[in-house]
Amino acid sequence: MSKLNATDIQGFVLRGYNMPFARFCFLHFEDAESARKLVGALLSSITTGQLWDQGKPQSTLNIAFTFKGLVKLDLPLATLISFPVEFQEGMKSRSGILGDSGVNAPEHWDAVWRDETGASEVHAWLAVHALSAEALDARATDLFTLVEKIGGVRVLDTQDAASIVLDGNVTTKEHFGYTDGFGNPDYLGIVRKSQPGQGKLMPDGTWVPLATGELLLGYADEAGELPIAPMPHLLGANGTFMVYRKLHQNVGTFRRFLDEWSARYGAGDAAAKEKLASKFIGRWRDGTPIEISPNTPDSAITQDPNRSTNFTYGSDTGGARCPVGAHIRRVHPRDAFGFQGRLINRRRITRRGLPYGPYAASDDNSPDMDSVERGVVFMALNASISRQFEFVQQQWINYGNDAHVGNEKDPLIGNHMPGERFVIQGDTNPSNPPFVCAHLPNFVELRGGDYFFLPSMTALGMIAMNLVDPR
Amino acid sequence: MSNINGKVYAMNAITPMRPWKTWILRAIFFILGNVKPLQSDLINLSFIQFARWVIIPRNSFPFVGAPQQRELLEYDYLLFFSNFNGTWNQYIDAFSAVLSKGLDLVWKWSEKFPGSTPVTIFKEYITRVQFDTDYYYTAYPHATANDVKNAHIVQQTFDALNRNAATMSPDQFREAYLQFVLSVQTHLGATGEAPIVF
Repeated sequence: MSKLNATDIQGFVLRGYNMPFARFCFLHFEDAESARKLVGALLSSITTGQLWDQGKPQSTLNIAFTFKGLVKLDLPLATLISFPVEFQEGMKSRSGILGDSGVNAPEHWDAVWRDETGASEVHAWLAVHALSAEALDARATDLFTLVEKIGGVRVLDTQDAASIVLDGNVTTKEHFGYTDGFGNPDYLGIVRKSQPGQGKLMPDGTWVPLATGELLLGYADEAGELPIAPMPHLLGANGTFMVYRKLHQNVGTFRRFLDEWSARYGAGDAAAKEKLASKFIGRWRDGTPIEISPNTPDSAITQDPNRSTNFTYGSDTGGARCPVGAHIRRVHPRDAFGFQGRLINRRRITRRGLPYGPYAASDDNSPDMDSVERGVVFMALNASISRQFEFVQQQWINYGNDAHVGNEKDPLIGNHMPGERFVIQGDTNPSNPPFVCAHLPNFVELRGGDYFFLPSMTALGMIAMNLVDPR
Repeated sequence: MSNINGKVYAMNAITPMRPWKTWILRAIFFILGNVKPLQSDLINLSFIQFARWVIIPRNSFPFVGAPQQRELLEYDYLLFFSNFNGTWNQYIDAFSAVLSKGLDLVWKWSEKFPGSTPVTIFKEYITRVQFDTDYYYTAYPHATANDVKNAHIVQQTFDALNRNAATMSPDQFREAYLQFVLSVQTHLGATGEAPIVF
């Protein structure tokens, strides 16, 4: 396959910007004309996938729409009904399918996601990423000035996010202390430093990129078909769908749980705590995969792109190294379900995300640590929200039959009901005992989000000029 | 009237075949039935409780006498019956991704069979030839095939431990208990409600 037309694809789709600051702005359109005017005014400043020959820019800008936003933009009815059903419904309506119940139910979401009247529903997502806090503020100020000047568009809410800085160093850690961001898939035609472990597994054990149509509309997917996309073709092609979820992290609950259960799992010392933490995710907190290095973190592995995500579970079917219910083994099962991974190649998602809120220092003992606003802004990109994100969320995170663990959920991000447990497989070595963590609390709580369509530059132009014809 | 009962889905599909082709399929069934490794892919799809294809020759349909009239059928029929855990889409997706060669071998003799890839056309075909289930009983609506198999393993392993435990010293029991836990540690999943079908 030849190279994709990167200048037509929003940069956010093709690459993680690796910028430490971001602000996500949620807009409401009062009328179609103003909304089109805004899209038109922004068009030339949207960041595309074009390579940065002069190095990284100070800031980037990207845009996406909810289905309600596209309705408000007055797209033709024939076009609107050609969008996939789950996108038309939106994430709130899919909460039953996703298992977003209990504390994760929509009634507990942030106000911006709870609009019932339609008067202030979210129509668009504007994302600014920046290299510095100053650049972020400057770009956002320009943006809001423009929005105000055009009129007819309201900024409902903004969400700031930023990389966690530890000892003066920008990290890729999240609030539980895990190093995040390994293992996004590679796709055909997307220029990126390819790493073994990131695409799809071949019968000979090598890894190759996934079909482009697993990420972008208008290209063949892993089944050799075009993903379901809106009509006309030009509106969908080079676009994708995004799932936005604000995930609150109960850091106090997590740390207390580790303290309490590491005393039963091991000696309750730092070593036992770190080992238990690693079993939850499948990586040591520095990112070392426990499948490769079960006994100790090893920075030589995390620093080596040829090794950091290059492993399979075929020789560990019993889960003695990486528990069969551990987070990364669920969401990227590699060969764990047999058939050289062929059952999972159409269930992969690309993750973009950044933490929000202040990092709790290791000696932070405040009793209300859970109630501090902090977590992760999780964004997933995929060609089919229902086949990819929703399937992973329902079947692999909040359910476990494919992993042969019945109704057991992902220990860390599953939506736990009272009495749920996580089985950690072990062996005869006393330092690696079989163990059951019972009474799992909700370490993570959903605070809202929605499904978005991230159009190509061509499509944005069509929308701005009101030139979307269904045929 | 539902194809779904708890975690299990029952699928019936009936497809017509030209009678001369039925003989080819019989030969294929003979080989598939006797060369067990050829069935391994189907068996290894752990969310399938079972899947069976049966040929119904055109002269074998029930005739119970008058006033029923004898039918002159032009086609033999292939009945496919399967029970599986998970959604219809998940099932067909997996079939198409993993078993396409085998499925084509069995179904290509049926009229208008489009092939099991690409998957969307295959799904359209199954939709046309599928018959909904009138009544469906399942003993364990909260369990999948994996859950039931796991429960058997846990029970048998526990029974074995229990048989010998009374005569063990504490140290022997400690070792036996560890071995018991290691034997069942991948079989301890909980049963419960099925996820919402989508």
